[in-house]
Amino acid sequence: MKHSQLKEIIKKKASKTEFAIVTNLANGLSEIYEPGKSLSKEFETHKEQIDNFFKLKKNGVIEKTEIFVETYIRPIKVIIVGAVHIAQYLVDFAKSLNFEISIIDPRGYFASEQRFPDLKIINKWPDEAFKEVETNENSALIALTHDPKIDDPALQHAINKKFYYIGALGSKKTHENRCKRLKDAGFKTEQINLIHGPIGIKLGGRSAPEIALSIIAQLVSETYKK
Amino acid sequence: MKNSFDEKILEEANDWINTNQRVVLATVIQTWGSSPRQVGSRMIVNEKGDFSGSVSGGCVESAVVRECIDLIKDNKPCKKIEFKVSNESAWEVGLACGGEIAVYLEQII
Repeated sequence: MKHSQLKEIIKKKASKTEFAIVTNLANGLSEIYEPGKSLSKEFETHKEQIDNFFKLKKNGVIEKTEIFVETYIRPIKVIIVGAVHIAQYLVDFAKSLNFEISIIDPRGYFASEQRFPDLKIINKWPDEAFKEVETNENSALIALTHDPKIDDPALQHAINKKFYYIGALGSKKTHENRCKRLKDAGFKTEQINLIHGPIGIKLGGRSAPEIALSIIAQLVSETYKK
Repeated sequence: MKNSFDEKILEEANDWINTNQRVVLATVIQTWGSSPRQVGSRMIVNEKGDFSGSVSGGCVESAVVRECIDLIKDNKPCKKIEFKVSNESAWEVGLACGGEIAVYLEQII
């Protein structure tokens, strides 16, 4: 691979646009693939298979060829509600896991830049904040305030938008009350059951980083079930 | 199986080149059976044998480093190597996982 090509790939990664690298293993030539754009003759004959790899977000060698496809996909959007201590550790863990984190917290004293350097913090109530963040069934929500005023509207948004992962911090009792409130608000039991509450896998830990670890473990596990 | 924007191995390769090191990129292109790293996993190796990243759980890295140094010495652009339980080099380096992997080496030029 040419150094100029490597630099181009790094630039593509930084811009967070989805792409693939296609390499002819027989001669070492490689190229950047983007959906809808044409490739050089060398690869154009395999366009259909390359498209397919890209669609399936798959890496691998195209059968009966020497063409290797490597796809780069956008990180999964994770919205954390509550710029609390646990969130600081979640941000640390998420760094190497292909998650893109946004934090929502209307309480200014929590959501300070000093506590969360280099991170997008939306200092608004969830209903307003979700107007700024595009979400869909590939998004995840981690509700950490256990304050119904803040968590509940976010949970409702996540249920309505069919987030693939929804978790809410709080004891069994807190969660029971939460479920009851959502039921009163008109949500069906099967919708409410989508919420992981109490959040996280059973790790036994109590400290903020331990709780963050149990949450991130559950999130990774659910991501692979998608 | 996909690559993450967060994985920084290519950026590290770029840093190495910018500090006048010669770099070979090693990428897992195929796996059979159980193997610890998925297709697309990478490591980088320089002419001195320093390396970063991984292509297995430590089973074949030393052999990959040797191959990468040779690639630089012989000034070849690329090479495909396979590690199978049955072949000699795998026996030597020991693919304890019982899997087989193919690794593609390419020099950044």
